Amino acid sequence: MSSNHKRLSMGGRIDREQPVDFTFDGRKLAGYRGDTLASALLANGVTLVGRSFKYHRPRGIFSAGPEEPNALVTLGIAGRREPNLPATTLELADGMVAESQNRWPSLAFDVQSANGLLAPFLSAGFYYKTFMGPTRRAWMFYEHFIRKAAGLGRAGTDPDPDRYEVRHAFADVAIIGGGPAGLSAARAAAAAGARVALIEQDFLLGGQLLAEPSDSAAAAWLRQTEAELESSETVALMKRTTAFGIYDGNVIGLVEQRDPTNRQPVGEARQTFTMLRARSIVFATGAIERPMVFSNNDRPGVMLASAARTYLNRFAVLPGKKIIVATSNDGAWRTAFDLAAAGAEVTVADLRASLPAALVAEAAQFGVVVRAATHIVDLRGGHAVRRATLNGPDGQSEAACDLVCVSGGWSPTVHLTSHLGIKPAYRDDIGGFVPGAFAADRFGAGSMMGAYSTAGAIEDGHRAGTQAASFCGKSGPAPTPSKLDLGETAAAQLREVLPAGRGKAFVDFQMDVTTGDIELAHREGYESVEHLKRYTTLGMGTDQGKTSNFPALAAMATLRNATIPETGATTFRPPYTPVAIGTLAGRAIGHHFKPIRRTPMHDWHMTNGAEMLEVGLWMRPYFYKQSGRDVNEAYVAEMRNARQAASLMDISTLGKIDVQGPDAAIFLDRVYANGFAKLPVGRARYGVMLRDDGIVFDDGTTTRLAENRFFMTTSTAKAADVLSRLEFLLDTAWPDLRVAVTSVSDEWAAMSVAGPKSRAILSAAFPALDVSDAALAHMGLLESEWRGRALRILRLSYSGERAYEIYVGATAGEQLWSRLLEAGRPFDLKPYGVEALGALRVEKGHVAGPEIDGRTTLDDLGLGRMAGKRTGFVGDVLRRRPAFQAPDRQRLVGLECIEEGKRLRGGAILFLPGEKPYGHGRGRVTSVTFSPERGRYVGLALLAGDVASEGSEIVAVYPMKTETVRARIVSPVFLDPQGERLHG
Amino acid sequence: MASPDFSLSVADCPLIQVEGWDGTLGQFESSLSTSLGTKLPASVGETVRHKGFLVIRVAPRRLWLALDDGAQAPSLAVDPDLGCSVSLDEGRVRFRMAGADIARVLSKCIAVDWRASAAAPGRAVLTSLHHVPVLFLRTGETACELMVPRSFSRSLSDWIADAAK
Repeated sequence: MSSNHKRLSMGGRIDREQPVDFTFDGRKLAGYRGDTLASALLANGVTLVGRSFKYHRPRGIFSAGPEEPNALVTLGIAGRREPNLPATTLELADGMVAESQNRWPSLAFDVQSANGLLAPFLSAGFYYKTFMGPTRRAWMFYEHFIRKAAGLGRAGTDPDPDRYEVRHAFADVAIIGGGPAGLSAARAAAAAGARVALIEQDFLLGGQLLAEPSDSAAAAWLRQTEAELESSETVALMKRTTAFGIYDGNVIGLVEQRDPTNRQPVGEARQTFTMLRARSIVFATGAIERPMVFSNNDRPGVMLASAARTYLNRFAVLPGKKIIVATSNDGAWRTAFDLAAAGAEVTVADLRASLPAALVAEAAQFGVVVRAATHIVDLRGGHAVRRATLNGPDGQSEAACDLVCVSGGWSPTVHLTSHLGIKPAYRDDIGGFVPGAFAADRFGAGSMMGAYSTAGAIEDGHRAGTQAASFCGKSGPAPTPSKLDLGETAAAQLREVLPAGRGKAFVDFQMDVTTGDIELAHREGYESVEHLKRYTTLGMGTDQGKTSNFPALAAMATLRNATIPETGATTFRPPYTPVAIGTLAGRAIGHHFKPIRRTPMHDWHMTNGAEMLEVGLWMRPYFYKQSGRDVNEAYVAEMRNARQAASLMDISTLGKIDVQGPDAAIFLDRVYANGFAKLPVGRARYGVMLRDDGIVFDDGTTTRLAENRFFMTTSTAKAADVLSRLEFLLDTAWPDLRVAVTSVSDEWAAMSVAGPKSRAILSAAFPALDVSDAALAHMGLLESEWRGRALRILRLSYSGERAYEIYVGATAGEQLWSRLLEAGRPFDLKPYGVEALGALRVEKGHVAGPEIDGRTTLDDLGLGRMAGKRTGFVGDVLRRRPAFQAPDRQRLVGLECIEEGKRLRGGAILFLPGEKPYGHGRGRVTSVTFSPERGRYVGLALLAGDVASEGSEIVAVYPMKTETVRARIVSPVFLDPQGERLHG
Repeated sequence: MASPDFSLSVADCPLIQVEGWDGTLGQFESSLSTSLGTKLPASVGETVRHKGFLVIRVAPRRLWLALDDGAQAPSLAVDPDLGCSVSLDEGRVRFRMAGADIARVLSKCIAVDWRASAAAPGRAVLTSLHHVPVLFLRTGETACELMVPRSFSRSLSDWIADAAK
């Protein structure tokens, strides 16, 4: 058979001067620019394009748009491989490589089509009933095989070489849908002076007008309107762009496809995710034609009537020669007439007993055979439909056919309005759901509002566009509404599922849901449409049940003997069509995956042997390579140096908050569990904040700079949370307090000098400053300047050693860091990383993130005395609730390895000696380190209070490495419990 | 920078933040206006240029004084009963961007409508760039600035440079 043998010699909106080569399942085929993959396949006589999800039944092209349930293909190779794309929406491009899915070894011969023989056992709920035993874990075993047998295409695993983009866009009026209503709305809104974004998923504007002959009045109207809009400076025509979701604030999620026919897309994103913010929205999303339900209605060669007309008039493809048009409305007759005019032998089987005389007369002119009060009950054919069984006034009869066009009327496309929470409302006059009440800034137009005629849609669009522009304050001179009357008559709607033959009658083609499944669900009590959906998986495919939703409702309504509105409608959620994760990510991949924070000393760390570690968003030195061969060796060496000489740490990552105002002390008294009102100027204090529920929120030190001014530091991890919390409390709980909180985290470079030689180093680095104990006592503050920049020195210790935190303006951070190292060289001052920092604090028994984990209280952490009998601070009331006083509540303890050579591990579960290591145990190890002081591994743990007696033995089990370690419960302060080293 | 119609440069961004207390805001603004010798921007997002600095109202009770390159900070004496001030000399970096391609590049960075009156020359908008809070300041028909936290500045300038490709 020659290529494109189903292509007509003339007509259509394809460019015959631009042939396009592509492959399908390895077979080389040709089409034209302006084709979709589906139209090109049909032109080449390819009717079998896929296999169904569950039964692996042969499937063909069913529609001509995004509602396609059958013709899902995988596009591209290697990293560009993308599965589950409807062939009906893929613009044909040279070199396109497409393959069918869910078949083996080939599409024509699929071994798993044998599933059809098991169909009686594979009904709705089959998996739930069958694969739940014999044990609770049995499903985990079965799932692997079931997922292999059923499914869609598979994504590739190679890196995607293409670029994706995310951008923001704005408009006064966003119009979703480029059909007659949308075009008319855009014309009116633009004329009123509004900035308009017209969004159309197709690569051509026109919607259903594209199904009209290319030399028709409709085509002329389309050309003129499009030219008018293209010449407007205020209209953005966004073709190849799908509105996949609508969100609060009129934010519309758009995915724009790159023009695949562009042969030089250098630098152009393959897909762009646009967040369009519009002041008003016009929904002109059209309607989707309803299929008809009868036995074997899924055979290749069954197609929506509107789709057949589109393939004929837009793509110049005659998909069949002996055609039955099965319908219940006037619209499908136009398909019959056009097909007959193109040379096909056409029979119209109309469900209605009384047919419009004008249509019957026109049918006679075209030689179309008309059978009234007739519907199809069954089809035959394997890879293509061959014969139909019709049921009419004279009983059943057989008819040969190679194409069956079906039309059960139309369903307005209310998906996007559903995203906004607008409940669909049933309109009996059109037999379908339209959106319920719109907010003032949203409008509907055209067939999505039930205006099915072209003239009505254009008029409706004009009204909606004018109103949407007016909402935005744009009320320029209204243009004359353009007119186009195609003489359509009202579309009657099929509202029930007809009796079918013995074969399966499909309602949801993609999920292989049949009328039998719906009947079974009904028998088993799943009458709610939401339950029906979940039990049968109806509407849960990639097409979201665009063609199946209404027939399913009609079937359930019949079974329940209820009306369709009584039966209800399901809720549509974003995305309207599938969106690739890579598109949403855009450029936020690789080194742009998240923004990175660098301290002022970052470059020094990088050039001086630091192994860097991501801590939250910060890059921090993990350890310095000159300290040891690996992290384990390095951190022990670094902490030894801190204990014996002095070490320098970059602590710029600490959260820093300026707290100012006449009520600042009162404010801090309320947000901290311990008091700050009496803190003298020039002194610092460790503080702990609680959440409202009494759980510890964060800790840090706060220094009183002046009577009304404090300098708060927070943990690195909680810096943003603490600032947000403080702002929240000031705005909502205590708006009467005159306090300002400002993040100054990035203002200051901060570094800590810790160790017995730290004071000497400070004296050497700042010879003009008096850093004696008398001038700068523990928890004291010294403010000065260094090279013209503000300098703050706080004598604080996290390591347990004498230590100083030094703050200087960020731009001078690296200079001061280098100055300290230079001054400290005679004292063996060396930098250390976060691993050593953590180890030092564990030895000293200081709690940090692993202990302040959102579950622990002050008492759990041994900090209860800080609050004492204070009241009136955040978390005060709930910290005293009885559950927090339970004797078996886990509290902080120290652990020390009993056996030499063994190590504790963070996350290990604690059990009593002899206790079976099962379940959650008595507690867990939170932080561990090797302690040079103790010569063994030590750790902090949270352990049930009723077994946490010091001196007792406990067993730490680490299932990930099947390790069991004996440990002794000790004080969490492993080093210098009297705090003498702080002053050493 | 791949686009010939877009340029990005980075500079320090010394700021002074002043804030008035609720209830005495009128007195605070009057006092501050006298102290600075200029009127204050009336609403959030408005700016007023004065000798060597730009006054930006970033929140209903909060203003930033953004100093020009090399300009001396104005001497401020804020009555603590009316408000407070804090120097933000070091914590931010100023991205200066210009060129005919600027709107396209920015559309990939921030959710600010280049054509809206709220983003007209002389207006400021607090927004986010790659999840980081930044202040957008429109400085001309095809020019703007972003004031970004110093710790994020390298990451964000990389982001913008990539967006310009």
